[in-house]
Amino acid sequence: MLQFLVTWLATTPSLAVPYALGAVGLILSERAGVLNLTAEGLMLIGAVSAAGAVLSFHAPPLLGMAVGMAAAAFVSLLFAALVITFRANQVIAGLVTVFFCQGLSSLLGAQFGWTSKAFSGLGPVPFGPLATIPVLGPIVFGQDLVAYLVVPILFVVSVVLGRTRAGLNLRAVGENPEAADAAGVSVPITRFLAVIAGSALIGLAGAYISVASVKIWIDDMTAGRGWIAVALVIFARWNPWRALFGAVLFGAIQAIIPKLAAAGVMLPQYLVLTTPYLATLAVMIWVSIARRHAPGDEPGALGRPYVREERV
Amino acid sequence: MSLPTKAVALAAASAVAWSSVALTASALADVFKIDGPPKVAIILFGPKNDGGWSQAFEEARPELEKIIGAKIPVVEKVPEDSSAITPPAERFIQRGYNVIIGTAFGYSDTFKKLSEEHPKVAFLDASGITNGPNLESFYGRTYESQYLCGMAAAAASKTGKLGFVAANPLPVVNWTINAYEMGAKAINPDATLTVVFTGAWNDPVKERAATTALIDQGADVIGQHVDTPTPQIVAQERGVYGTGHHRDLAEFAPKATQCSSVWTWAKFLGPTLESIKAGTWAPSPYGAFPGIKQGGTDIACCGSAVSEDNKKKILAARQDIIDGKNAIFVGPLADRDGKERIAAGATLSDADLWKMDWFIPGVISQK
Repeated sequence: MLQFLVTWLATTPSLAVPYALGAVGLILSERAGVLNLTAEGLMLIGAVSAAGAVLSFHAPPLLGMAVGMAAAAFVSLLFAALVITFRANQVIAGLVTVFFCQGLSSLLGAQFGWTSKAFSGLGPVPFGPLATIPVLGPIVFGQDLVAYLVVPILFVVSVVLGRTRAGLNLRAVGENPEAADAAGVSVPITRFLAVIAGSALIGLAGAYISVASVKIWIDDMTAGRGWIAVALVIFARWNPWRALFGAVLFGAIQAIIPKLAAAGVMLPQYLVLTTPYLATLAVMIWVSIARRHAPGDEPGALGRPYVREERV
Repeated sequence: MSLPTKAVALAAASAVAWSSVALTASALADVFKIDGPPKVAIILFGPKNDGGWSQAFEEARPELEKIIGAKIPVVEKVPEDSSAITPPAERFIQRGYNVIIGTAFGYSDTFKKLSEEHPKVAFLDASGITNGPNLESFYGRTYESQYLCGMAAAAASKTGKLGFVAANPLPVVNWTINAYEMGAKAINPDATLTVVFTGAWNDPVKERAATTALIDQGADVIGQHVDTPTPQIVAQERGVYGTGHHRDLAEFAPKATQCSSVWTWAKFLGPTLESIKAGTWAPSPYGAFPGIKQGGTDIACCGSAVSEDNKKKILAARQDIIDGKNAIFVGPLADRDGKERIAAGATLSDADLWKMDWFIPGVISQK
């Protein structure tokens, strides 16, 4: 039983990391007022470019993941231009970006021969004897570097958002772009930067899946994890720490599903496979009941393109 | 064999013989012919370098090109959707292609419709379920090859605890699992097989989690019926063994992979194309279901963890399957709940194979 708990908790972080990074990336963009559905696509771009950098250029895994971040940030310029410069509908532009990225990522993989090529990828940080401590060893000292970096990344994001001038500007643009504009903050530039920075984190989430988690690139390998990140943002009410909690919850559920089967617990399998979604539903209902009298924490201008002349 | 059972068996055998005569006769009545020499085109479900199902067809292509003496064009990544399948198929037909090979279950209905609209074109669909005068679905008897891989798995295992990563509990997957466990028991009667269903054919993240969970629970050989090589890669990382599906997965995990169930489509499609060319092709109304003998499936065996002695046993079992001495699903056989599934002396019919929703004792899985 203890062994079961230890191996369960030890496999949870690698499943939770993509959700956490993806959701925080989306939060950055949405706190600036840009409703962002691109995660599923940009994660694929991050995953394929990181795997490509490792396979074709023998980049060390961490450098490959940095390439994945840069590639996702670059591709997000398309989405940003659509919704910020051309003021396209943010939902439709987001969906179009996902489809575009699905096609682009599998084209890149096929064109350069990266599809279904195994590589060694990012392994756990070598803690030496610490990793063999019973119970704590595999859980605390058995993870890879990016898994340890998630909490510092979240810390930086929440400090920047909450305690700095730049974060104040970003939130102002998301809550009330007219007021921010009147105060001399450039709405388009702030939104562009928020989308690019957020997309880099989403790219890292995808790169983590291909380089650290499974160590192979396969078409559409994110398999809906980007959409779960989108749901987590709403679940977390645009707060990075609550997003981390949701990501860990999801990771833990996804880790326990195969563990139950492997331990020989005979449950109806289709029911078991729906547990992550049942859990989402349950938490969403609970959150909306518990907070029904609280003021909404959705960014005020979320999904609304900003035009200087308009009075809304 | 007691007298009454013998009589039943004889009656069954003659019934089968008669029905097949009747079938051949009716099929011969309106034998299908294409105009001119065969021009073949392939519509692939996945990318042609997917490392699995689709790539197995791509690898059969050069041999088929030699047989018909012409290039075979391929379109890849055609989803299981009529609006995606029809345009490339129609374009091939307009350009004079008269044999169209599809590669997915979800092509079944579209291929049926196309075959009715184009009676002079031959259609073949791997893992499809529709058939007609110019349409034949085909799939390999993977339980034959996976039985042999189960033997290799038990031979490589030290603990007798085998693990298996599978997509969904469908009949094609269930017969693989049952045959795998039967093969394992042929080497080690105490071998057990713990199965984790991922609920997806192509999700390496879930496959990694499933493989890790099985190894953490003590499994030391990991079989698989999913589309990516991830379970073998994880097995190699963790220093245990495994067996592959679709293609020889030793390519991805040379130390881990002890045996792979592989598709041998050239061996089946070659003679099929020859018979289309000769005008003797008579598609079966139930689809073609080739085993190792006819070239649907075979094994790439064995890795270094399988002893010479066991390797000989596996190859002898393969020969028995080819010679028809081992049909694998033969009675008496009860499922793990004790219910009799195959009577003593009987062999499971193809119809029952395609309905398999039970597991034999020794298989540990969710329902």
